[in-house]
Amino acid sequence: MDVFILLLEGIFVSFEPLNLGLLIFGCLIGLFVGAMPGLGSVNGVAILIPITFIIPPTAAIIFLAAVYYGAMYGGAISSVMLGIPGASTAVATVFDGRPLAVKGEAMTALTAAAVGSFVGGTVSVILFTLFAPPLAEVALRFNAPETFALMVMAFATFVGLGGDDVPKTIFSILIGLALSTIGLDLITGKPRLIFFNIPGFLHGINFLVLAIGIYGIGEMLWTLEETKGKVQMSKLSVNMKEVGRAFGALKKTIMAMNIGSFLGFFVGILPAAGATPASLMSYGITKQLSKNSKEFGSGVPAGVVAPECANNSASTGSMLPMLTLGIPGSPTTAILLGGMILWGLTPGPLLFTQEPEFVWGLIGSLYIANFFTLVLNIALIPAFLMVLRIPFAILAPVIFVLCVTGGYAPTQSLHDVWLMLLFGFAGYILRKLDYPVAPAVLSIVLGPLAEKALRQSLILSDGSMGIFFDMAEKPIAAIIMYIAIVLLIMPAFGPLYRKYFKKAQTT
Amino acid sequence: MSIIKKLALVIVSLSLVAVSSVSSAKPFSPKKPIELIIPAGQGGGADEIARLVQGVIEKNDYASKPVIPINKKGGSGGEAMTYVKKKAGDEHTLIITLNNVLTTPVNQPELGIDFFNDFTPLARLITDTFLVWIATEGKNTQGVETFDDFIALAKGNGLVMGGTGSMSEDELLLGMMRGQFGFDAKYVPYDGGGAVAKGLVGGESDFTLNNPSEQMGFYQSGDSKALVMMTPERNPAFPDVPSSYELGYPDLEYYMMRAFMAPAGIDAEVEKYYTGLLHTVYHDNEFQTFNIDDGKLMSWLEGFGLKDFLAIEYAKHGEIIKNFN
Repeated sequence: MDVFILLLEGIFVSFEPLNLGLLIFGCLIGLFVGAMPGLGSVNGVAILIPITFIIPPTAAIIFLAAVYYGAMYGGAISSVMLGIPGASTAVATVFDGRPLAVKGEAMTALTAAAVGSFVGGTVSVILFTLFAPPLAEVALRFNAPETFALMVMAFATFVGLGGDDVPKTIFSILIGLALSTIGLDLITGKPRLIFFNIPGFLHGINFLVLAIGIYGIGEMLWTLEETKGKVQMSKLSVNMKEVGRAFGALKKTIMAMNIGSFLGFFVGILPAAGATPASLMSYGITKQLSKNSKEFGSGVPAGVVAPECANNSASTGSMLPMLTLGIPGSPTTAILLGGMILWGLTPGPLLFTQEPEFVWGLIGSLYIANFFTLVLNIALIPAFLMVLRIPFAILAPVIFVLCVTGGYAPTQSLHDVWLMLLFGFAGYILRKLDYPVAPAVLSIVLGPLAEKALRQSLILSDGSMGIFFDMAEKPIAAIIMYIAIVLLIMPAFGPLYRKYFKKAQTT
Repeated sequence: MSIIKKLALVIVSLSLVAVSSVSSAKPFSPKKPIELIIPAGQGGGADEIARLVQGVIEKNDYASKPVIPINKKGGSGGEAMTYVKKKAGDEHTLIITLNNVLTTPVNQPELGIDFFNDFTPLARLITDTFLVWIATEGKNTQGVETFDDFIALAKGNGLVMGGTGSMSEDELLLGMMRGQFGFDAKYVPYDGGGAVAKGLVGGESDFTLNNPSEQMGFYQSGDSKALVMMTPERNPAFPDVPSSYELGYPDLEYYMMRAFMAPAGIDAEVEKYYTGLLHTVYHDNEFQTFNIDDGKLMSWLEGFGLKDFLAIEYAKHGEIIKNFN
């Protein structure tokens, strides 16, 4: 019962005028930075850190957490409305959100994103409230072999991402993996694959640069060809029937909400992963387990709910290792962690007992931030929908400018703008040739995580792969690995099974 | 006539005043935002100090233009150093150092960075040191109470050490200790000091060489303990941890410097301005309190003293790298 008293106190703390004002302000800023391509929660929080020196730590963390949180919602807006991922965490939202908007169901996509985010955020903060200490223990025991097993599981689900054309999907995955090896060798610290000795390659291929190129520029070229610059859809009305239909579509997304909330939270509490991998994995697994997995990618609400639910859930989850272990669960929490240290707090196992007001104020504020962002989002949907009334000939240059700034912002290097344009053309050509691009995008995010975990594990085991299948010593790793193998062979045998099954039915 | 003369005098003297006010160098002040390059990722030790410096400057209006931290973590600082090298003569760029500015030019000669001629050292603010850490409940380090216990154990058994990446400070330190004490360890690299600390407490590694702040949380909760601090004296933030000098190992001394440099080819006035700005930050109460509580050593150094220090450290690191390979 102690937990509930502490939580109530926390909620009271976040209702103090200064805190509540900052919370709402933070949510709005978050929505904006999330929706601006290239500006994500990482930049938003980093830019705002100095402001927090003049307010008390509790207000500061509430403000920055609200920014973080709002950005998770905001990213979906440009993903759906413009087809440019607003933030790295919203890349998977493009996969189905954009096709929905093109089909004229932008309302459904935005509603799914807002409600999905709300559910993910709420479930995760409840899990956080109830199970923080034991979950911190789980995060502590989740080391290199376990992480690699989880990555293998994620990749296994990607094979099913590209539809039935498995060879093309694997090709796409390998392209992504190859691109992800550019930059710094994670173990020896030496640069590798620095083409033509261009220093810009030293920081590797930024994932957002690839995603903005492929989805922003590629999509723009594609749409220009399709619509010849006309308005994409003119009849768009927001009436109760539409609203009803949008909410009705959510009924089919219960599974996506479950997967997104729980998987997202779990991935979030693991160190160094964060909301981007969580949203991509959630999308992959939801698709794999869905009955109508073939429709994913052509615009299904569950394909929007899965990543949106997961990224909010993961962003809450990633605060757990930050508070209890002093390690960042995501790039944004890395900055928050720096902030906490600067505010004079010591993150670690003692923080919950030493600074209850801070910790519970933060947790309480998450409940309220969730509610406010949902209301804000639903209320603003008609405004977002106006974008669709703009003729594409006017919208295209705007998208182009957003893509260029979005390519520049993460690393502040022009090199990445050129790369982004290159990826844009490559993405357009791949699409023309009917190659799935989503698996490449996923691989470039998870590639480095997987490589690092694999190599760490192999150093520990002196090169033996047995470390991943050792039921006695590392049961978590082994169990995940076996699940991964099953998931991997499922799509391969799926068609065979269906063929056999249909034959059996017809005869 | 006299009036004309007077007038002429006035005109001459006025123009002289005008000329002299132009020719005597006006003190420099920044004309646009100052880029502060961080040769490491977000959330690390250098990032933390850079953002603290930014915060202190903005809160107190120490500078007329804002400071904008930019992380360029690629290539163990290589990306950042290449960037600053190209900015030669730029009056609005600064870089905060980790020790990777001493090692990367040696390890990656292909970058063509000349440590002594491509940068203008401004000031050193802080030095951070390292400690040898074990988990209180480490399964392979049970019964280890002192640093000597640890050496004896490490000699016989291949212990696992968690570190922050190949050729980073802690791996070089391991190389140094290998030479001094004759033990080796399996080195597993992680993403940053926080993850290293977690790997230790989570039981994946047996020991680490972390900075004070990286283990502070676990140290305070009693999950990890330090055996030795690599400095001549004890640190008030870790009163129960002996210094390497006390234990009779004065060679086990190592520092991570937090210094600031500008690109090469800037005017002396510009150099003076930034050194002055950093000096103001250094003496700021908040800056002092934060760093002392965090176990860091406040160690201001500028001018020739700093140049000598850098030359010595550069040579020392070159030696460690040579012995390492």
